[in-house]
Amino acid sequence: VTTLTGGELTSGVSAPPGGLRRIGSARWRKRNLTFDKITFFLVFLVIPVAFYLAFVVSPFVQAAYFSLTDWTGFTPAMNFIGLSNYAKLFTDDTFMQAMANNILMAVVVPIVTLGLAMFFATLVTVGGSTKGNIRGLRNSSFYRVISFFPYVIPAIVIGLIWSQIYDPSAGLLNGILTRLGLDQFTSFAWLGDPRTARWAVMFVIIWGLVGFYMVLFIAAIKGIPAEVFEAARIDGAGRFRTAMSITIPLIRENVQTAFIYIGILALDAFVYMAALEPGGGPDNTTLVMAQQLFTTAFTKGQFGYACAMGVVLAIITLAYAGLIFAINRIFGGKSEVGE
Amino acid sequence: MGIYDTPLGRRDFLRGSLAAAALAATGTLGACATSGTGTSTQTSAPPAGQVSDTNPFGVESGSTVEAVIFKGGYGIDYAEFAGKQVEAKQQGVTVKVTPTTKVAQTLQPRFVAGNPPDVIDNSGAGLIGVNTIRDQLAELNDVIEAKNYEGTVIKDTIYQGVTEPGTFDGKFIVLNYVLSVFAIWYSASLFEQNGWTVPKTYDEMLALGEEAKGKGKYLLGWGKEAATYYQTMAIASAIKEGGDEVRLALDNLKPGCWSLPPIQDVFNGLKRIIDAGYMKPGGSGTVFTAAQAQWSEAEDFILYPSGSWIENEMKDQTKSGFKMTGAPEPTVTSNSKLPWEALHSTAGEGYIVPSQGKNVAGGKEFLRAMLSREAAVNFAKTKLASTIVKGTVPPDGFGSTALQSQIQMLEAAGSNVFSWTVLNPADLYGMNTDQLVVWNSFLSGDSDVAELTKGLQDITDKVANDDSIKKVQVS
Repeated sequence: VTTLTGGELTSGVSAPPGGLRRIGSARWRKRNLTFDKITFFLVFLVIPVAFYLAFVVSPFVQAAYFSLTDWTGFTPAMNFIGLSNYAKLFTDDTFMQAMANNILMAVVVPIVTLGLAMFFATLVTVGGSTKGNIRGLRNSSFYRVISFFPYVIPAIVIGLIWSQIYDPSAGLLNGILTRLGLDQFTSFAWLGDPRTARWAVMFVIIWGLVGFYMVLFIAAIKGIPAEVFEAARIDGAGRFRTAMSITIPLIRENVQTAFIYIGILALDAFVYMAALEPGGGPDNTTLVMAQQLFTTAFTKGQFGYACAMGVVLAIITLAYAGLIFAINRIFGGKSEVGE
Repeated sequence: MGIYDTPLGRRDFLRGSLAAAALAATGTLGACATSGTGTSTQTSAPPAGQVSDTNPFGVESGSTVEAVIFKGGYGIDYAEFAGKQVEAKQQGVTVKVTPTTKVAQTLQPRFVAGNPPDVIDNSGAGLIGVNTIRDQLAELNDVIEAKNYEGTVIKDTIYQGVTEPGTFDGKFIVLNYVLSVFAIWYSASLFEQNGWTVPKTYDEMLALGEEAKGKGKYLLGWGKEAATYYQTMAIASAIKEGGDEVRLALDNLKPGCWSLPPIQDVFNGLKRIIDAGYMKPGGSGTVFTAAQAQWSEAEDFILYPSGSWIENEMKDQTKSGFKMTGAPEPTVTSNSKLPWEALHSTAGEGYIVPSQGKNVAGGKEFLRAMLSREAAVNFAKTKLASTIVKGTVPPDGFGSTALQSQIQMLEAAGSNVFSWTVLNPADLYGMNTDQLVVWNSFLSGDSDVAELTKGLQDITDKVANDDSIKKVQVS
């Protein structure tokens, strides 16, 4: 279906400019559809939309349909079974636990990561000396570069590095702790104890992402005219007050975008978990929906059921994005400080 | 996301972010989609080539055999070797061997489209659950009834009972190629040095734990992805203790199967070892290969329950002079239904021939080559593991103590060789992931026998009560 749509659109607009001019209606002339404009639309609108339909919307629709079937994933045969996959899903305590884990992560990871990122970004841009020009701490460009390092490493590598650091017997972390005389950490399984596993995993994700969001916020803060900060300083605002009343309101939209992206990542988290806790962690405390989806599809051969999980995950993700918008609105997003 | 005439306004930005959110969300969702469902359910055509004694399946001359081989611990060179054998025996036939590390992910679309390869080594962590593709596999009875390249009927050259784990509801569809012996493994040299003997019951294990502790070593250890090796050991012990009744209850997912007395006795035996502190702590947070190196290289613990692939797996991380040797899994009491020497042995590396493949005869011919002497000996020699073909390992085990002990254990067990179908290692219903969680907390000492039993029973019941999962009746 999608290819057809693409084809129609393409043949409709790729006619030579002369042909279009001959249409001659006032409407066409008024919109002044030159060859340039048409090719521009074609390249930047029609083709992307066609691709979007073919590779994003159509799989989306297909997966939603499969979620209503008992498809095993390895045959062309499937039976329509209505909503029973969803009924099964909401009584499946393993999946519900995975969902709860994801939601906890989607709350904790964005707040901690972005909080830290904002703190560091403020320090290296406007948090410097209160005398003279508005500037960051000394050597701020150095901090900026090193804080970005973890983001340069692929997530899977980060996961593998940290699974070694957390190793109970030969890991760096327990090595340091026991060297410091904390003997209760001898062979302590950070990733294997239900009390610590989820925090250990979240720490890794946060560690890997702070640098990136810090750079994002730095770029945003750099876009604020220095006069605004100077004015605030003249009015007697300290660093904290400046951050809360000037910086954050002025880069509100960036913070919102950051929240959405990192929230989506926390709702997925598949890569980190594949490296750190491939089995779902102790008592399934680190199991995420994407992992459960993967096992259900490929190991258990229940693609229909897995698709239902995918649909639920997508809905939760959209709901999360909606929630972030709503929160932004409630806390004065409408006052349009940024524009 | 689109073209805006005005500078990026707030509304547009909002729209853009929403679209971005939707886009990211579909990343996972899209993974479920297919690339179109071809509904070609062609029945396997009659053999196109001439059927003869040297060409029992009628492979067509000039045809190609596509073999997709799991590339894990054994590599794919042994399969390429077998491919060469086919090419030498069947004029004009070419064999194309392709490696894969994720069988299910790679081949899933091809099963849907109805053009799977001719023969697949369905192994590794990403294998296709056989239960889902059972109806699409060719029966392999004619393979083992055919004569091998030396002229002997294949059935007479393979170990007893090796086709059973590949037989589902009476249909033999999975040819498990590599013989695995499950045992508890130890360093014969370390045991000799300390004057230790191999424990035959759980009480003896407990006593050995005390002695090991005296030498600053733990008795047992585990890794988080391999916690269910203890389940495999426990089931084997329970079957030895209680006989077939235990095996059938577990295989047929009977309600309350985990509460059978022999299983409970084994769990209690293990629990005493764990509570005594003879289990190396931290396993639930240790990668299993690292845990295994703690046994084979650092000798932090002295016994490890595993399959006979352990030698090959730890080849590069074994202390020199570590005489890796296996012993049968312990029993609960000394008057168990099966003797201590009874051995849990089954075959792994499950080869399947999809019935919709283009060259089913070629797929079978490939298996015939693998089961012939030359390829089987080549495998044993290069991989230090026996195939299901008998007599390919000389008494010196090519210099490997583990292989020697494997053959000795098989000889001592005689006809007392058993295996089971549903649970690990065959894992027919994909329960291992859930079981790992339960076992990790039990081995850590965080849960007791009652919690372990309940956890395992819940997992079993969930599968048993799920009508959408086809069950295999085991007898």
